[in-house]
Amino acid sequence: MSRLAGWRGTCRDPGALCLGGAFLCLFVAALAPHLVMRRSAYDLLAAVDITGSMNARDYTIDGKPASRLEKVERVLRDLLARLPCGSRMGLAVFTERRTFLLFEPVDVCRAFAALDGALRALDWRMAWEGDSRVAAGVYSAVDLAADLGAGLVFLTDGQEAPPLPHSGPPPFEGKAKDVRGVIVGVGGTTPVPIPKFDANGREIGFWAMTDVPQENRFGPPPRDAELREGYHPRNAPFGAGAAAGNEHLTSLREDHLRALAATTGLAYAPLQEAQGLAEALMREATPRPVVAPLDPAPVPAALALILLVVLFGLLPLLHGRPDLLTHKPRMFSRCRDRPSSPLC
Amino acid sequence: MNLGVEHPAVLWFLALAALPLFAGIFRRQGLPSLLPVPGDVLSAMVVAALRSLGVVAIAGTVLGLSGLHRREHSVPREGFGTHLVLLLDRSASMNDTFAGRVPGRARETEEESKSAAAKRLLTEFVAGRPHDRIAVAAFSTSPLLVLPMTDRIEAVEAAIAAIDRPGLAYTDVGRGLALAMSLFDDATLGTSRALLLVSDGAAVIDHRVQDALRDLIRRLPVHLYWLYLRSAGSPGILEPSGGQSERTPQADPERHLHVFLASLGVPYRAFEATSPGAVKDAVAEIDRLETRPLRYLEQVPRRDVSRHAYGVACAATGLLLLAKLLERDLASRSDPIARQGSRSRRPSPA
Repeated sequence: MSRLAGWRGTCRDPGALCLGGAFLCLFVAALAPHLVMRRSAYDLLAAVDITGSMNARDYTIDGKPASRLEKVERVLRDLLARLPCGSRMGLAVFTERRTFLLFEPVDVCRAFAALDGALRALDWRMAWEGDSRVAAGVYSAVDLAADLGAGLVFLTDGQEAPPLPHSGPPPFEGKAKDVRGVIVGVGGTTPVPIPKFDANGREIGFWAMTDVPQENRFGPPPRDAELREGYHPRNAPFGAGAAAGNEHLTSLREDHLRALAATTGLAYAPLQEAQGLAEALMREATPRPVVAPLDPAPVPAALALILLVVLFGLLPLLHGRPDLLTHKPRMFSRCRDRPSSPLC
Repeated sequence: MNLGVEHPAVLWFLALAALPLFAGIFRRQGLPSLLPVPGDVLSAMVVAALRSLGVVAIAGTVLGLSGLHRREHSVPREGFGTHLVLLLDRSASMNDTFAGRVPGRARETEEESKSAAAKRLLTEFVAGRPHDRIAVAAFSTSPLLVLPMTDRIEAVEAAIAAIDRPGLAYTDVGRGLALAMSLFDDATLGTSRALLLVSDGAAVIDHRVQDALRDLIRRLPVHLYWLYLRSAGSPGILEPSGGQSERTPQADPERHLHVFLASLGVPYRAFEATSPGAVKDAVAEIDRLETRPLRYLEQVPRRDVSRHAYGVACAATGLLLLAKLLERDLASRSDPIARQGSRSRRPSPA
């Protein structure tokens, strides 16, 4: 009978209840099966403009002037770390009028080091031609991305070299919005000089106004050509003077890139830190559902921790401890009732 | 053990593990005197054990919640493999068939392009060599670094998968070789290195580039392999062809590249493949030749051990629960003193 009372007392004891609860929770936490969660991942093709204007230094990294290409490389490497696991990224370079695929999209988590190394190795020296026909490059990147079934991130400053003819960029032959993605505008709004390199890749100064074509004189002349000095409809349809301009300087050609984005159905975003780029991509690119394991254990474990803290922290405080004399010990009251008891 | 946690901030809760040292979970019962229960070693040990069980329970739970895991690490192992640089030709002619035709879309001919054959066979080749570290470079009009030395086969396969895309114009093999040589990083010192050049043609190598290559190879000897995808009608590389007047680098750059590579003083083999079947044989031969003992690092993936932490905490809690269930009031014991005490609890009828 007294044994039963003891059991019953134990069961009513909040301490025992907490302990039992914590034990059960931890048991569940240790043995609960892993759940499966559906999550979004992204397949991306990063196409990087590696033409000469991307060597212009209008960014700063760690307090030092950095070229646009270095900045792009840094942002893409940060982006790599921010993409959810299961996402894949491929890399392509753009110069001349083509986007050239280096490798197809690979898993950003499993091949992180390889991707990171490949991004670090991006170099303007890979460029096989000096031209920078951005519109054609974007179109070929769209084709490539469509073929790979990936979203596109095209990073460029939008500087066309040679300049676009007066009739505007070449027509886009694909279907708009076939490929989702972002054209990322790289560079500042202030025109800066473009570094010039010799055949061995040593920097030898900057491009001057007379070094680069300032006007595209293919195709029909602009409407206002007849106002130019020395204009003659047959002999000098673009005017008699040499073209002058700022094509040897470079700044972000935002209007051109916005127009290209509108034509191809991509979005446009100026280059920002990786966080902003990742958000823009997650808004624009088509997510691919991936299955990710989800560990449910933290829920019962957190409950167990709360119960254990209640057990070891709260209950002793609430109930007080006889040895600290926070409440009247039972024995003494007994002694008051029966002073003749042998224990008193 | 190389342990790490996912959420270091959660570790602050480890301070809670000190609670069991200050507070007990058993019912306190006052005794007027400690004389009837003199301190003994066994009891002290039981008390210490129960308290440490409490510490273990809380600490284990907190560690589990912080995402305790064994970090990814690498174990050095001995195996067979090599450090390999794949130098792939991506000039436009690689997209033609071995017969020199553009592969027909209508599939009236079942011929595949040289690049498609190379892609298929190289993919099989790298998949069968799990211990290799492989870098990939491409060359055409200019050399392009595709992938630095990596042990991730899937990245290498992605780079190989890209080679049957439309190529560029020219074949600047000299600078391509120089780039490929630069991909052997410090980790390849004192190990075996191999360079596999896959191309369907060559071009004249500038004398300065030739000197630079000789210099590079003298400093860092490699095993050279050239898988020459020979199209129908193009001259062979193993035998001089044509009359004396045609034996110039400009007229027959492939043969001259072969002679140049053979003159470098490192083990060199050229394979002339005129069909996908021949490519397969050549790749199998390279596979056989490049199996030298290699010390490589095996990656042991990260392993989650939070479940183990919960298990330990669960065991500690279970033991505490057992102790708690075995707990008895002094009153319910059968010794005379306690019985007297329990009797005294009842109000006397008097």
